[in-house]
Amino acid sequence: MRIVIALALLSALFILGPLLIVVPMSFSTAKSFAFPPPDYWLGYYRAFFADIRWTQPVINSVLIALATMLLTMALVIPASFAMVRQRFLGRSAMNLLLMMPMIVPHIVMALGYYSYFGHLKIIHSPLGVVLAHTCLSVPVCYLIIAAALKGFDRNLERAAMNLGASPLRTFWEVTFPVLRPGFLVGGLFAFIHSFDEAVVAIFISGQAASTLPRKMFDSIRIEADPIVSVVSTLLFAAVLLAVLSPLLWRAISNTRRQVQSGTATA
Amino acid sequence: MTQGTGIMMQQRAGRRTTWLLLLPVLVFLAVFFLVPLGQVLYFSVMDPTFTLHHYLAFFTDDFYWRVLFGTFRTTAIVTAFSLLLSYPLSYAIVRLGGGFATAMLLIVAMSFWTSFLVRTFAWMVILGNNGPLRAILATMGWTPPPELLFTRFSSTLAMVHLLVPFMVLALYSVMKKIDYTLVRAAISLGATPFEAFRRVFLPLSAPGIVNGCTLVFIMCLGFYVTPVLLGSPREQMIAGLIGTQIEEFLEFGEASATAVILLCVTMTVFAIYNRFVGLDKLWG
Repeated sequence: MRIVIALALLSALFILGPLLIVVPMSFSTAKSFAFPPPDYWLGYYRAFFADIRWTQPVINSVLIALATMLLTMALVIPASFAMVRQRFLGRSAMNLLLMMPMIVPHIVMALGYYSYFGHLKIIHSPLGVVLAHTCLSVPVCYLIIAAALKGFDRNLERAAMNLGASPLRTFWEVTFPVLRPGFLVGGLFAFIHSFDEAVVAIFISGQAASTLPRKMFDSIRIEADPIVSVVSTLLFAAVLLAVLSPLLWRAISNTRRQVQSGTATA
Repeated sequence: MTQGTGIMMQQRAGRRTTWLLLLPVLVFLAVFFLVPLGQVLYFSVMDPTFTLHHYLAFFTDDFYWRVLFGTFRTTAIVTAFSLLLSYPLSYAIVRLGGGFATAMLLIVAMSFWTSFLVRTFAWMVILGNNGPLRAILATMGWTPPPELLFTRFSSTLAMVHLLVPFMVLALYSVMKKIDYTLVRAAISLGATPFEAFRRVFLPLSAPGIVNGCTLVFIMCLGFYVTPVLLGSPREQMIAGLIGTQIEEFLEFGEASATAVILLCVTMTVFAIYNRFVGLDKLWG
């Protein structure tokens, strides 16, 4: 078992180590990707926030991801109700269609969108990226919302209807509030999926609607711009915050509960 | 009889509601997913009339065979190393539990949620000409240190790093459900701990191995970003080749044929998985 633990720790080091290297890089004064940094400053952070060629892709990415999230939820939530609650002819074909965007490699779709959206004249536009990202986000959003829906106790609805509520009122006052967390998680996954998606965005977003992943890709490939390390650090910090916050939240509420029970017994 | 028609009407109304709920996503995916996908298939065999010469060009050229073979080899290596790194980690997480498990799962989650581009960039720094790894190799007496970046080694290493979290999560979700008393029973019946692991725990964790390997294999097969940024331009993977055919040569016919070949290979892997395990189990 000691060998297993040693191997496990080595794997953990392999997973974590490379992530941490971007942080010192972002404070480096080096003009290229040199490590260890010759000296430290904040110059590249200032350069990042002042440069519209970097801030515009950030704004584009956020807006595209928001639109993708809303559109995906609008499409997937009704479909999930039908898929989970009804047995009908063509259900397994429908299931396959909903999962297809996850099965087809993104580079294949990038090629498809490149010519199709060129034909429709929506290539290099935010609209094209939103439409493409919505297709690619449908499977992950569907998996999460369908799972939430399967866990829903329909007796709650029957009870509401028994007490005289109309189907619509039952939905708004019983079904929707119970399922809201599942819907939100599904939407969040669609948001992240769009925000992180690189391959399709590289081929169809163009300069005008360039998303952040596309800008990072171009910047690494063509110019070796040290600002990439600033963006990487900020993205990594966001992940760190998101991953650690449930843990912190639990710690805080635990102490609060202890304090409260302490005052109660006193 | 009136009751019968009542139920039938209700069923028909139910069916209508079902399709009404499905209609938006059905139309959307048909117009913005199936049509572009169909166009790729169409362009792979039309130029401008029906032809198979894009496929013939692919399969008669040594260069394309090398790309296809190289992609398979890289994918197999990445899958194998991901499994080798992930299995002990997942096993330790499940067996030790507690704070150790929480810390390890946090590290995995952190890597999982960090963008592929950020992690690819990190490897670019580590393996770069002025990077730490070459400096370490130089101090260890390897002078001059080998070029690490833009080789098959660099893209393979980075892809292992990118895909390990998927493997760990696939393994962990199966391993945590294994009843460890079965292993204890084997030991109490005279098996050595290793024998008990090999003949009880390992077979029980097989579904996790199959799931993880399938996921990693599929993701690696169509990987674009990392091989293009870190890999050798002379030893492209198939997704990178499609990119070059579009961007540099504007060869939509050939790019479409290559894309269809990648699609067929991917679908074959899914079909095999579906035949033996069932597709709905892949995403838990």
